[in-house]
Amino acid sequence: MEEKPSKVSLKSSDRQGSDEESVHSDTRDLWTTTTLSLAQLNMPLSEVCEGFDEEGRNISKTRGWHSPGRGSLDEGYKASHKPEELDEHALVELELHRGTSMEINLGEKDTASQIEAEKSSSMSSLNIAKHMPHRAYWAEQQSRLPLPLMELMENEALEILTKALRSYQLGIGRDHFLTKELQRYIEGLKKRRSKRLYVN
Amino acid sequence: MRLKQGSFLWYLYLDKIYCLLSVRNVKALAEYFHILDVHGKNTLNDVLFYHFLHHVTDLKKAQINIVFDMLDWNAVGEIGFEKFYMLVCMLLAHQNHLEGQFMYRHSRPVFDLLDLKGDLRIGAKNFEIYRFLFNIQKQELKDLFHDFDITGDNRLNYQEFKLYTIIYIDKLQKRQKTEEKEKGERKRSLYSKCHIKQIQAERVSWKKMESESTEREH
Repeated sequence: MEEKPSKVSLKSSDRQGSDEESVHSDTRDLWTTTTLSLAQLNMPLSEVCEGFDEEGRNISKTRGWHSPGRGSLDEGYKASHKPEELDEHALVELELHRGTSMEINLGEKDTASQIEAEKSSSMSSLNIAKHMPHRAYWAEQQSRLPLPLMELMENEALEILTKALRSYQLGIGRDHFLTKELQRYIEGLKKRRSKRLYVN
Repeated sequence: MRLKQGSFLWYLYLDKIYCLLSVRNVKALAEYFHILDVHGKNTLNDVLFYHFLHHVTDLKKAQINIVFDMLDWNAVGEIGFEKFYMLVCMLLAHQNHLEGQFMYRHSRPVFDLLDLKGDLRIGAKNFEIYRFLFNIQKQELKDLFHDFDITGDNRLNYQEFKLYTIIYIDKLQKRQKTEEKEKGERKRSLYSKCHIKQIQAERVSWKKMESESTEREH
């Protein structure tokens, strides 16, 4: 039976947050409500989340969101973007690739050719900078989750895990290896968070 | 059952038609699950699960334990990402008043979750335990079993459950259509009232202008 989409009236609560958090909440709302082109993606859930198979078993711990091997994901990602955005992405990739290739070939070229190459790359980078001044932003868009979202996730996880630690200490004792593991994990998370805050 | 405002799940967006998350949202959720996976087993144990749900919802301890037992299909004491994802979709569907749509779109997995004994039947008692997840009232549950228990064994098999979800959605669509019609009629009546007032005001001003012009002529 063909199912017609039902027009469900949305009575969800306002997700814009308070005025103080309006900047962060806008970023999070924008990011989560933007969808990729699902027509291009026909993969099971397990392929979306690296490191997990369909039974939830660990395949790998690597969490590279943007890997060259995952062509279909990239295609789907690209398909959802406008042509001008795609060109900008291609330009960023080109610049990044040129940057790395420049580093590799540095020892091999003559100084004159090196200067010429640097000039050409600086010219192209100037051109790219005109089109895309916020390189860090575009890199983030391509490969990572937005920082406000990461911060929200880590802060929330920290609160949850701190409460869980108390339960562990009461339930299985402070000396149990699981309790110690959780304690170390929480400390690591706190250090990462303070590093990020210090850098910002 | 409400999600805590400002929590990470609160910012996720559930598709209104298919009641699923987008790929981007799933990636974010996977990252969140990974952060909570303290012991590196790609699972959440009962303690971590309890504190997670307790933090992001207003569920009570007994309800959280019920949800955990429901999701821990293999009784291993841990929840993997697949079950976690399903739970998040259920929470978001509840938050956005899409419970019926969710049951309709995902009737098979929902049926499998509610079929605690694994005998391909849902008993009234089991459904009663989990009705808070789908916002089904007591009387609605009684009517459900009364109307759809075709086999008469006081339990629902999958076909009966699917039929219930189809008819539920059908009723919902009809209710929404009538609500939209009523809204439209109200708007039209308001518009016609305003229109009449506007015409009357224009007539009055026109008459005034005519009388003024005749006075000037005299």
